[in-house]
Amino acid sequence: MIVKEWCMYCGGCAGVCPRNLIEVRELTLKFNEDECKECSLCVQLCPVDALEQE
Amino acid sequence: MLIETDILVIGAGPAGSTAAKHAALGGAKVLMLDKKSEIGAPKRCAEGVSIGGLESLGIEPNPRWVTKKLDGVRMVSPNGTDVWLTSDKVELPEAGYILERKVFDKFMAMDAARAGAEIRVKTLATGLRREDDHVIVSAECMDEEFEIKAKIIIAADGPETRVARWAGLRTALKAKDMESCAQFEMAGVEMENNDVIEFYFGSVAPGGYAWIFPKGDDIANVGLGVLTTNTDKTAYQHLLEFVENCPATKNAQPVELNIGADPVGGMPKKMVADNVMVVGDAASQVNPLTGGGIISGMTGGMLAGKVAAEAIKEGDASEKRLSEYEKVCRAEIGDSINKYLKVKDYMMTLSDEELDSIADVFKDTDFERVSTGEIVKTLIKVSPKALLKLGKIF
Repeated sequence: MIVKEWCMYCGGCAGVCPRNLIEVRELTLKFNEDECKECSLCVQLCPVDALEQE
Repeated sequence: MLIETDILVIGAGPAGSTAAKHAALGGAKVLMLDKKSEIGAPKRCAEGVSIGGLESLGIEPNPRWVTKKLDGVRMVSPNGTDVWLTSDKVELPEAGYILERKVFDKFMAMDAARAGAEIRVKTLATGLRREDDHVIVSAECMDEEFEIKAKIIIAADGPETRVARWAGLRTALKAKDMESCAQFEMAGVEMENNDVIEFYFGSVAPGGYAWIFPKGDDIANVGLGVLTTNTDKTAYQHLLEFVENCPATKNAQPVELNIGADPVGGMPKKMVADNVMVVGDAASQVNPLTGGGIISGMTGGMLAGKVAAEAIKEGDASEKRLSEYEKVCRAEIGDSINKYLKVKDYMMTLSDEELDSIADVFKDTDFERVSTGEIVKTLIKVSPKALLKLGKIF
Protein backbone atom coordinates (compact mmCIF):
# COMPACT_ATOMS: atom_id res chain seq x y z
CA MET A 1 0.00 0.00 0.00
CA ILE A 2 1.28 3.44 -0.88
CA VAL A 3 0.42 6.11 1.70
CA LYS A 4 0.44 9.51 0.09
CA GLU A 5 2.13 12.44 1.76
CA TRP A 6 -1.20 14.17 2.34
CA CYS A 7 -2.63 11.42 4.59
CA MET A 8 -4.10 13.05 7.71
CA TYR A 9 -4.11 9.89 9.88
CA CYS A 10 -7.85 10.08 10.58
CA GLY A 11 -8.00 6.30 10.94
CA GLY A 12 -11.15 5.68 8.91
CA CYS A 13 -9.24 3.13 6.83
CA ALA A 14 -8.45 1.11 9.95
CA GLY A 15 -12.12 0.96 10.95
CA VAL A 16 -13.24 -0.62 7.67
CA CYS A 17 -10.28 -3.00 7.33
CA PRO A 18 -12.04 -6.35 7.82
CA ARG A 19 -8.82 -7.96 9.05
CA ASN A 20 -7.72 -5.19 11.43
CA LEU A 21 -4.39 -4.77 9.68
CA ILE A 22 -3.89 -1.01 9.79
CA GLU A 23 -2.09 0.67 12.67
CA VAL A 24 -2.66 4.42 12.78
CA ARG A 25 -0.15 6.42 14.76
CA GLU A 26 -0.18 10.17 15.21
CA LEU A 27 1.89 10.68 12.05
CA THR A 28 2.39 7.21 10.57
CA LEU A 29 0.21 4.59 8.96
CA LYS A 30 1.44 1.01 9.10
CA PHE A 31 -0.07 -1.83 7.07
CA ASN A 32 0.37 -5.50 7.76
CA GLU A 33 0.87 -6.21 4.06
CA ASP A 34 1.39 -9.96 4.49
CA GLU A 35 -2.19 -10.50 5.65
CA CYS A 36 -3.83 -8.01 3.24
CA LYS A 37 -6.28 -9.53 0.74
CA GLU A 38 -6.50 -6.29 -1.28
CA CYS A 39 -10.22 -5.75 -0.69
CA SER A 40 -9.45 -2.02 -1.07
CA LEU A 41 -12.18 -0.91 1.36
CA CYS A 42 -9.55 1.32 2.99
CA VAL A 43 -8.67 2.93 -0.33
CA GLN A 44 -12.35 3.71 -1.03
CA LEU A 45 -13.09 5.06 2.45
CA CYS A 46 -10.26 7.60 2.51
CA PRO A 47 -11.79 11.11 2.45
CA VAL A 48 -8.72 12.56 0.68
CA ASP A 49 -7.67 9.69 -1.60
CA ALA A 50 -4.39 9.18 0.21
CA LEU A 51 -4.09 5.41 -0.26
CA GLU A 52 -3.04 3.58 -3.40
CA GLN A 53 -2.88 -0.15 -3.90
CA GLU A 54 0.55 -1.15 -5.22
CA MET B 1 8.26 -2.66 32.63
CA LEU B 2 4.81 -3.78 33.75
CA ILE B 3 2.18 -1.31 34.93
CA GLU B 4 -0.74 -2.68 36.91
CA THR B 5 -4.17 -1.12 37.06
CA ASP B 6 -7.76 -2.11 37.68
CA ILE B 7 -9.16 -0.45 34.58
CA LEU B 8 -7.34 0.60 31.42
CA VAL B 9 -9.16 3.03 29.11
CA ILE B 10 -7.73 3.19 25.59
CA GLY B 11 -8.52 6.50 23.89
CA ALA B 12 -9.18 9.85 25.57
CA GLY B 13 -12.00 11.22 23.45
CA PRO B 14 -15.21 12.23 25.22
CA ALA B 15 -16.39 8.60 25.57
CA GLY B 16 -13.07 7.38 26.99
CA SER B 17 -12.66 10.31 29.38
CA THR B 18 -16.22 9.90 30.64
CA ALA B 19 -15.64 6.18 31.19
CA ALA B 20 -12.38 6.93 33.03
CA LYS B 21 -14.04 9.59 35.19
CA HIS B 22 -16.91 7.36 36.31
CA ALA B 23 -14.68 4.35 36.84
CA ALA B 24 -12.38 6.45 39.04
CA LEU B 25 -15.33 7.98 40.92
CA GLY B 26 -16.47 4.41 41.58
CA GLY B 27 -13.24 3.78 43.44
CA ALA B 28 -11.24 1.86 40.83
CA LYS B 29 -7.61 2.47 39.91
CA VAL B 30 -7.81 3.84 36.37
CA LEU B 31 -5.22 4.47 33.65
CA MET B 32 -6.21 6.16 30.38
CA LEU B 33 -4.00 6.22 27.27
CA ASP B 34 -4.19 8.43 24.22
CA LYS B 35 -1.95 7.91 21.23
CA LYS B 36 -1.93 11.58 20.29
CA SER B 37 0.28 14.28 21.74
CA GLU B 38 -2.73 16.53 22.24
CA ILE B 39 -6.10 15.27 23.47
CA GLY B 40 -8.87 16.79 21.35
CA ALA B 41 -6.75 17.70 18.35
CA PRO B 42 -7.11 17.43 15.45
CA LYS B 43 -10.88 17.62 15.73
CA ARG B 44 -12.90 15.15 13.66
CA CYS B 45 -16.32 16.53 14.29
CA ALA B 46 -18.88 19.19 13.41
CA GLU B 47 -19.05 19.96 17.15
CA GLY B 48 -22.83 20.07 17.67
CA VAL B 49 -24.23 18.80 20.95
CA SER B 50 -27.62 18.92 22.69
CA ILE B 51 -27.85 20.94 25.88
CA GLY B 52 -30.11 18.35 27.51
CA GLY B 53 -27.54 15.69 26.71
CA LEU B 54 -24.81 17.52 28.61
CA GLU B 55 -27.20 17.99 31.54
CA SER B 56 -27.98 14.28 31.62
CA LEU B 57 -24.25 13.62 31.94
CA GLY B 58 -23.94 16.13 34.78
CA ILE B 59 -21.69 18.47 32.81
CA GLU B 60 -21.95 22.22 33.41
CA PRO B 61 -21.50 24.29 30.25
CA ASN B 62 -18.24 26.25 30.30
CA PRO B 63 -17.69 29.38 28.20
CA ARG B 64 -14.21 28.11 27.37
CA TRP B 65 -15.68 25.30 25.25
CA VAL B 66 -19.11 26.58 24.21
CA THR B 67 -18.69 28.69 21.08
CA LYS B 68 -22.33 29.20 20.24
CA LYS B 69 -25.82 28.55 21.55
CA LEU B 70 -28.15 27.49 18.76
CA ASP B 71 -31.61 28.74 18.04
CA GLY B 72 -32.93 26.27 15.52
CA VAL B 73 -32.44 24.42 12.30
CA ARG B 74 -32.55 25.24 8.60
CA MET B 75 -32.93 22.31 6.21
CA VAL B 76 -32.22 22.86 2.53
CA SER B 77 -33.39 20.55 -0.25
CA PRO B 78 -31.47 20.02 -3.51
CA ASN B 79 -33.29 22.80 -5.40
CA GLY B 80 -32.73 25.25 -2.55
CA THR B 81 -36.17 25.04 -0.94
CA ASP B 82 -35.54 25.70 2.72
CA VAL B 83 -37.39 24.81 5.89
CA TRP B 84 -36.78 27.02 8.92
CA LEU B 85 -37.38 25.68 12.39
CA THR B 86 -36.47 28.47 14.80
CA SER B 87 -37.51 29.32 18.36
CA ASP B 88 -39.72 32.24 17.32
CA LYS B 89 -41.91 29.72 15.50
CA VAL B 90 -41.57 26.49 17.42
CA GLU B 91 -40.55 25.06 20.75
CA LEU B 92 -36.99 23.74 20.69
CA PRO B 93 -36.58 20.91 23.19
CA GLU B 94 -33.35 19.74 21.60
CA ALA B 95 -31.60 23.13 21.74
CA GLY B 96 -27.90 22.79 21.27
CA TYR B 97 -24.43 24.21 21.50
CA ILE B 98 -21.56 24.23 19.08
CA LEU B 99 -18.47 23.23 21.02
CA GLU B 100 -14.78 23.90 20.66
CA ARG B 101 -13.83 20.23 20.71
CA LYS B 102 -10.12 20.89 21.13
CA VAL B 103 -10.94 22.51 24.48
CA PHE B 104 -13.95 20.35 25.39
CA ASP B 105 -12.10 17.05 24.99
CA LYS B 106 -9.25 18.31 27.19
CA PHE B 107 -11.73 19.45 29.84
CA MET B 108 -13.38 16.04 29.87
CA ALA B 109 -9.96 14.38 30.27
CA MET B 110 -9.13 16.86 33.07
CA ASP B 111 -12.36 15.86 34.83
CA ALA B 112 -11.22 12.24 34.60
CA ALA B 113 -7.84 13.20 36.06
CA ARG B 114 -9.48 15.11 38.90
CA ALA B 115 -11.62 12.07 39.65
CA GLY B 116 -8.39 10.15 40.13
CA ALA B 117 -7.55 8.67 36.73
CA GLU B 118 -3.94 8.59 35.57
CA ILE B 119 -3.43 9.77 31.98
CA ARG B 120 -0.64 9.02 29.52
CA VAL B 121 -0.54 10.89 26.21
CA LYS B 122 1.44 10.01 23.07
CA THR B 123 1.03 6.41 24.17
CA LEU B 124 -0.22 3.81 21.72
CA ALA B 125 -1.70 0.43 22.57
CA THR B 126 -0.23 -2.07 20.11
CA GLY B 127 -1.73 -5.39 21.14
CA LEU B 128 -3.61 -7.40 23.72
CA ARG B 129 -3.57 -10.85 25.23
CA ARG B 130 -5.54 -12.56 27.97
CA GLU B 131 -3.84 -14.16 30.95
CA ASP B 132 -5.91 -15.90 33.63
CA ASP B 133 -8.37 -13.33 34.96
CA HIS B 134 -6.78 -10.24 33.42
CA VAL B 135 -5.58 -8.71 30.19
CA ILE B 136 -2.08 -7.66 29.19
CA VAL B 137 -1.93 -4.73 26.78
CA SER B 138 1.33 -3.88 25.06
CA ALA B 139 1.98 -0.17 24.62
CA GLU B 140 4.55 2.25 23.28
CA CYS B 141 5.50 5.79 24.25
CA MET B 142 8.40 7.43 22.43
CA ASP B 143 11.21 4.85 22.48
CA GLU B 144 9.76 2.94 25.40
CA GLU B 145 7.84 -0.33 25.06
CA PHE B 146 5.95 -1.65 28.04
CA GLU B 147 3.03 -3.77 29.16
CA ILE B 148 -0.06 -2.90 31.15
CA LYS B 149 -1.84 -5.51 33.23
CA ALA B 150 -5.51 -4.64 33.70
CA LYS B 151 -8.53 -6.40 35.09
CA ILE B 152 -10.81 -4.57 32.66
CA ILE B 153 -10.03 -2.64 29.51
CA ILE B 154 -12.45 -0.11 28.09
CA ALA B 155 -11.87 0.28 24.35
CA ALA B 156 -12.56 3.90 23.34
CA ASP B 157 -10.31 4.05 20.31
CA GLY B 158 -12.82 5.70 17.99
CA PRO B 159 -13.87 4.65 14.48
CA GLU B 160 -10.65 2.65 14.04
CA THR B 161 -12.05 0.29 16.67
CA ARG B 162 -9.00 -1.99 16.72
CA VAL B 163 -8.81 -2.78 20.42
CA ALA B 164 -12.20 -4.49 20.78
CA ARG B 165 -11.38 -6.62 17.75
CA TRP B 166 -8.14 -7.80 19.35
CA ALA B 167 -10.42 -9.10 22.12
CA GLY B 168 -12.63 -10.93 19.64
CA LEU B 169 -15.53 -8.45 19.40
CA ARG B 170 -16.86 -7.81 15.92
CA THR B 171 -16.80 -4.03 15.72
CA ALA B 172 -15.37 -3.60 12.19
CA LEU B 173 -17.42 -1.31 9.97
CA LYS B 174 -18.88 -2.22 6.61
CA ALA B 175 -18.47 0.37 3.84
CA LYS B 176 -22.21 1.09 3.89
CA ASP B 177 -22.03 1.80 7.63
CA MET B 178 -19.13 4.26 7.59
CA GLU B 179 -19.55 7.86 6.47
CA SER B 180 -16.45 9.33 4.89
CA CYS B 181 -16.33 12.96 6.04
CA ALA B 182 -14.51 16.18 5.24
CA GLN B 183 -14.94 19.62 6.76
CA PHE B 184 -13.45 23.09 6.64
CA GLU B 185 -13.59 25.48 9.53
CA MET B 186 -14.12 28.74 7.68
CA ALA B 187 -14.26 32.49 8.23
CA GLY B 188 -16.33 34.82 6.09
CA VAL B 189 -19.33 32.48 6.05
CA GLU B 190 -22.45 34.46 5.13
CA MET B 191 -25.35 32.58 6.68
CA GLU B 192 -28.85 33.98 6.49
CA ASN B 193 -29.06 33.44 10.23
CA ASN B 194 -25.94 32.41 12.10
CA ASP B 195 -27.92 31.19 15.12
CA VAL B 196 -29.16 28.07 13.33
CA ILE B 197 -27.47 24.92 12.11
CA GLU B 198 -27.98 24.17 8.42
CA PHE B 199 -28.41 20.79 6.75
CA TYR B 200 -28.21 20.30 2.96
CA PHE B 201 -29.66 17.10 1.56
CA GLY B 202 -29.46 15.20 -1.71
CA SER B 203 -26.78 14.53 -4.29
CA VAL B 204 -24.63 17.26 -2.77
CA ALA B 205 -23.56 14.50 -0.35
CA PRO B 206 -24.61 11.01 -1.56
CA GLY B 207 -25.49 8.76 1.37
CA GLY B 208 -25.10 11.57 3.86
CA TYR B 209 -25.66 15.31 4.07
CA ALA B 210 -23.75 18.57 4.11
CA TRP B 211 -23.79 20.91 7.10
CA ILE B 212 -22.94 24.42 8.16
CA PHE B 213 -22.59 24.70 11.93
CA PRO B 214 -22.01 28.28 13.11
CA LYS B 215 -19.30 29.01 15.69
CA GLY B 216 -20.00 32.71 16.24
CA ASP B 217 -19.61 35.79 14.02
CA ASP B 218 -18.76 34.66 10.47
CA ILE B 219 -17.07 31.43 11.58
CA ALA B 220 -18.54 28.00 10.86
CA ASN B 221 -17.78 24.33 10.40
CA VAL B 222 -18.67 23.56 6.80
CA GLY B 223 -18.59 19.89 6.04
CA LEU B 224 -20.22 16.78 4.70
CA GLY B 225 -20.32 13.04 4.96
CA VAL B 226 -20.78 10.59 2.10
CA LEU B 227 -21.08 6.84 1.77
CA THR B 228 -18.35 5.59 -0.54
CA THR B 229 -20.80 2.97 -1.78
CA ASN B 230 -22.91 5.83 -3.21
CA THR B 231 -20.30 7.98 -4.97
CA ASP B 232 -17.07 7.73 -6.95
CA LYS B 233 -15.78 11.05 -5.66
CA THR B 234 -14.02 11.52 -2.34
CA ALA B 235 -15.62 13.40 0.54
CA TYR B 236 -13.01 16.12 0.01
CA GLN B 237 -13.98 16.56 -3.66
CA HIS B 238 -17.64 16.80 -2.68
CA LEU B 239 -16.71 19.38 -0.04
CA LEU B 240 -14.83 21.56 -2.54
CA GLU B 241 -17.87 21.50 -4.84
CA PHE B 242 -20.25 22.28 -1.99
CA VAL B 243 -18.20 25.23 -0.77
CA GLU B 244 -17.95 26.63 -4.28
CA ASN B 245 -21.68 26.35 -4.97
CA CYS B 246 -23.25 27.20 -1.62
CA PRO B 247 -24.23 30.90 -1.39
CA ALA B 248 -23.15 31.04 2.27
CA THR B 249 -19.58 29.93 1.58
CA LYS B 250 -18.70 31.42 -1.77
CA ASN B 251 -16.72 34.22 -0.08
CA ALA B 252 -15.50 32.16 2.87
CA GLN B 253 -11.92 31.05 3.47
CA PRO B 254 -10.76 27.89 5.28
CA VAL B 255 -8.55 28.02 8.35
CA GLU B 256 -8.64 24.30 9.02
CA LEU B 257 -9.35 21.06 7.15
CA ASN B 258 -10.76 18.13 9.11
CA ILE B 259 -11.37 14.63 7.85
CA GLY B 260 -12.61 11.47 9.46
CA ALA B 261 -15.00 8.58 9.43
CA ASP B 262 -18.32 8.32 11.22
CA PRO B 263 -19.79 4.90 12.08
CA VAL B 264 -23.52 5.02 11.32
CA GLY B 265 -24.51 1.35 11.28
CA GLY B 266 -25.85 1.08 14.83
CA MET B 267 -24.22 -0.64 17.80
CA PRO B 268 -22.62 -4.08 17.27
CA LYS B 269 -24.35 -7.20 18.59
CA LYS B 270 -21.82 -7.56 21.40
CA MET B 271 -20.10 -4.75 23.29
CA VAL B 272 -18.52 -6.80 26.09
CA ALA B 273 -16.28 -9.83 26.42
CA ASP B 274 -14.41 -11.21 29.42
CA ASN B 275 -12.37 -8.25 30.79
CA VAL B 276 -13.33 -6.01 27.85
CA MET B 277 -15.91 -3.29 27.17
CA VAL B 278 -16.22 -1.04 24.12
CA VAL B 279 -17.64 2.51 24.12
CA GLY B 280 -18.18 5.57 21.89
CA ASP B 281 -17.44 5.58 18.17
CA ALA B 282 -15.59 2.28 18.63
CA ALA B 283 -19.02 0.79 19.42
CA SER B 284 -20.88 2.90 16.80
CA GLN B 285 -22.70 4.76 19.59
CA VAL B 286 -23.83 7.34 17.06
CA ASN B 287 -27.23 8.54 15.89
CA PRO B 288 -27.19 6.99 12.40
CA LEU B 289 -29.41 9.72 10.97
CA THR B 290 -27.47 12.78 12.15
CA GLY B 291 -24.09 11.16 12.64
CA GLY B 292 -23.97 12.87 16.04
CA GLY B 293 -22.19 10.81 18.67
CA ILE B 294 -20.78 13.04 21.40
CA ILE B 295 -23.60 12.63 23.92
CA SER B 296 -24.41 9.01 23.05
CA GLY B 297 -20.73 8.06 23.19
CA MET B 298 -20.29 9.81 26.54
CA THR B 299 -23.44 8.11 27.83
CA GLY B 300 -21.94 4.76 26.79
CA GLY B 301 -18.72 5.79 28.53
CA MET B 302 -20.52 6.76 31.73
CA LEU B 303 -22.47 3.51 31.86
CA ALA B 304 -19.37 1.42 31.11
CA GLY B 305 -17.27 3.27 33.71
CA LYS B 306 -19.87 2.74 36.43
CA VAL B 307 -20.35 -0.96 35.70
CA ALA B 308 -16.58 -1.48 35.44
CA ALA B 309 -15.98 0.09 38.86
CA GLU B 310 -18.64 -2.12 40.45
CA ALA B 311 -17.24 -5.22 38.74
CA ILE B 312 -13.79 -4.41 40.15
CA LYS B 313 -15.23 -4.09 43.67
CA GLU B 314 -16.90 -7.47 43.28
CA GLY B 315 -13.77 -9.05 41.80
CA ASP B 316 -15.69 -10.28 38.77
CA ALA B 317 -14.69 -9.05 35.30
CA SER B 318 -16.42 -11.83 33.41
CA GLU B 319 -18.43 -11.17 30.28
CA LYS B 320 -21.54 -12.07 32.27
CA ARG B 321 -20.84 -9.41 34.91
CA LEU B 322 -19.90 -6.75 32.35
CA SER B 323 -22.96 -7.48 30.23
CA GLU B 324 -24.92 -5.27 32.65
CA TYR B 325 -23.31 -2.39 30.73
CA GLU B 326 -24.60 -3.75 27.46
CA LYS B 327 -28.09 -4.11 28.89
CA VAL B 328 -28.35 -0.58 30.33
CA CYS B 329 -26.68 0.88 27.27
CA ARG B 330 -29.19 -0.65 24.89
CA ALA B 331 -32.02 0.59 27.13
CA GLU B 332 -30.56 4.10 27.35
CA ILE B 333 -29.38 4.77 23.78
CA GLY B 334 -29.91 1.58 21.77
CA ASP B 335 -33.60 1.97 21.04
CA SER B 336 -33.20 5.43 19.62
CA ILE B 337 -30.16 4.40 17.56
CA ASN B 338 -32.21 1.55 16.05
CA LYS B 339 -35.11 3.87 15.24
CA TYR B 340 -32.91 6.43 13.50
CA LEU B 341 -31.15 3.65 11.60
CA LYS B 342 -34.47 2.93 9.92
CA VAL B 343 -35.02 6.61 9.14
CA LYS B 344 -31.55 6.82 7.63
CA ASP B 345 -32.25 3.80 5.45
CA TYR B 346 -35.44 5.47 4.28
CA MET B 347 -33.68 8.79 3.57
CA MET B 348 -31.20 6.91 1.38
CA THR B 349 -34.01 5.89 -0.94
CA LEU B 350 -35.11 9.47 -1.68
CA SER B 351 -34.20 11.12 -4.96
CA ASP B 352 -33.43 14.84 -5.22
CA GLU B 353 -36.95 15.37 -6.65
CA GLU B 354 -38.58 13.56 -3.73
CA LEU B 355 -36.54 15.59 -1.24
CA ASP B 356 -37.63 18.79 -3.01
CA SER B 357 -41.29 17.85 -2.82
CA ILE B 358 -41.01 16.97 0.87
CA ALA B 359 -39.30 20.29 1.54
CA ASP B 360 -42.08 22.03 -0.35
CA VAL B 361 -44.68 20.64 2.05
CA PHE B 362 -42.47 21.07 5.10
CA LYS B 363 -41.87 24.76 4.53
CA ASP B 364 -45.57 25.50 5.04
CA THR B 365 -46.04 23.06 7.91
CA ASP B 366 -46.47 24.40 11.43
CA PHE B 367 -44.28 22.36 13.73
CA GLU B 368 -45.28 22.50 17.37
CA ARG B 369 -41.87 21.59 18.65
CA VAL B 370 -38.60 20.70 16.98
CA SER B 371 -36.76 17.50 17.61
CA THR B 372 -35.44 14.88 15.26
CA GLY B 373 -38.37 12.66 16.27
CA GLU B 374 -40.93 15.40 15.59
CA ILE B 375 -39.49 16.06 12.13
CA VAL B 376 -39.74 12.36 11.28
CA LYS B 377 -43.36 12.28 12.51
CA THR B 378 -44.19 15.15 10.17
CA LEU B 379 -42.39 13.38 7.36
CA ILE B 380 -44.68 10.39 7.88
CA LYS B 381 -47.72 12.67 7.58
CA VAL B 382 -46.65 14.14 4.26
CA SER B 383 -45.03 11.17 2.53
CA PRO B 384 -46.89 7.90 1.90
CA LYS B 385 -43.53 6.21 1.31
CA ALA B 386 -42.34 7.34 4.73
CA LEU B 387 -45.57 6.17 6.34
CA LEU B 388 -45.06 2.76 4.82
CA LYS B 389 -41.47 2.44 6.02
CA LEU B 390 -41.55 4.32 9.31
CA GLY B 391 -45.18 4.54 10.41
CA LYS B 392 -44.89 1.72 12.89
CA ILE B 393 -41.74 2.99 14.58
CA PHE B 394 -42.62 6.62 15.28
